[in-house]
Amino acid sequence: MTKINAKHVNPFVEAAMRVVTQVAGIEVRRGHLSYKLKVEPSFGVSIIIGIFGFLTGQIVYSLDGTLAERLVDKMLEGKSPQEKKIMFLDALGEVANMITGNATALLNQRRDQILNITTPAIAAGTNLSIHLIPKPALVLGLITQYGPIEISIAVEEKETLQETSSIEGTLSET
Amino acid sequence: MGKRVLVVDDANFMRMIVRDTLTPNGFEIAGEATNGAEAVAKYKQLKPDLVTMDITMKVKDGLQAAREILESDPNARIIMVTALGQEKMLLDSISLGVRDFVVKPFTKERIISAVEKALR
Repeated sequence: MTKINAKHVNPFVEAAMRVVTQVAGIEVRRGHLSYKLKVEPSFGVSIIIGIFGFLTGQIVYSLDGTLAERLVDKMLEGKSPQEKKIMFLDALGEVANMITGNATALLNQRRDQILNITTPAIAAGTNLSIHLIPKPALVLGLITQYGPIEISIAVEEKETLQETSSIEGTLSET
Repeated sequence: MGKRVLVVDDANFMRMIVRDTLTPNGFEIAGEATNGAEAVAKYKQLKPDLVTMDITMKVKDGLQAAREILESDPNARIIMVTALGQEKMLLDSISLGVRDFVVKPFTKERIISAVEKALR
């Protein structure tokens, strides 16, 4: 049995605010939260990270090219335009990695299990087609002075064996 | 000559940040690796004084690489530098013999202090 849960959203808000402010000095505010039957990134740059453990699924970050450039520009202040170009996708992937990694620490307060993430997959450009697992997602909008960041959280919570057996126990008693 | 550091991270960007932080502070970058398997091979080849090790990497992750390096050299000095600040990962790393656990994003002061402490 699996379930999607709104409690998974706040760790991403908190992590995104912390990470983007620290690495790029850009302030992030919370925007609109919505529900979609499947993940459809709204902007030209998408970063996809898988999560596996007691939560499984994908986190998809989407932002427009201008914000992506501003972000990388700030992160690589003092570097040459050539270096910024070379590091562009890598730096964006690392921001998504840091947000997801920091969020997993907030999601997983348990000492007995690990929530793993995959390395980021990045798609940038026009006329790109991205094939994502067709899962429902909570879509979180974040606002910055340079444009929005959209985070689609398409994860399912797996009940532990202990929780499952306690449900079975409750059912047999009634 | 400064202490020699092997920087392990799959992201070029992060290797650059670690390199740019350590080099002006008197450390020498002995080499770089982009995954755990490369890290184990380069550790044997370069014999660095310290390794900064990411966890989430393709081919072989940083925890497995740290385990293998410490099995072959129990005196190896490794600090984990990862976005995954989960308590179990921290405890697992410490029980392996890793010297410190730095969570990304980090400040320059934090990484320098971790490296200096691990090298004492």
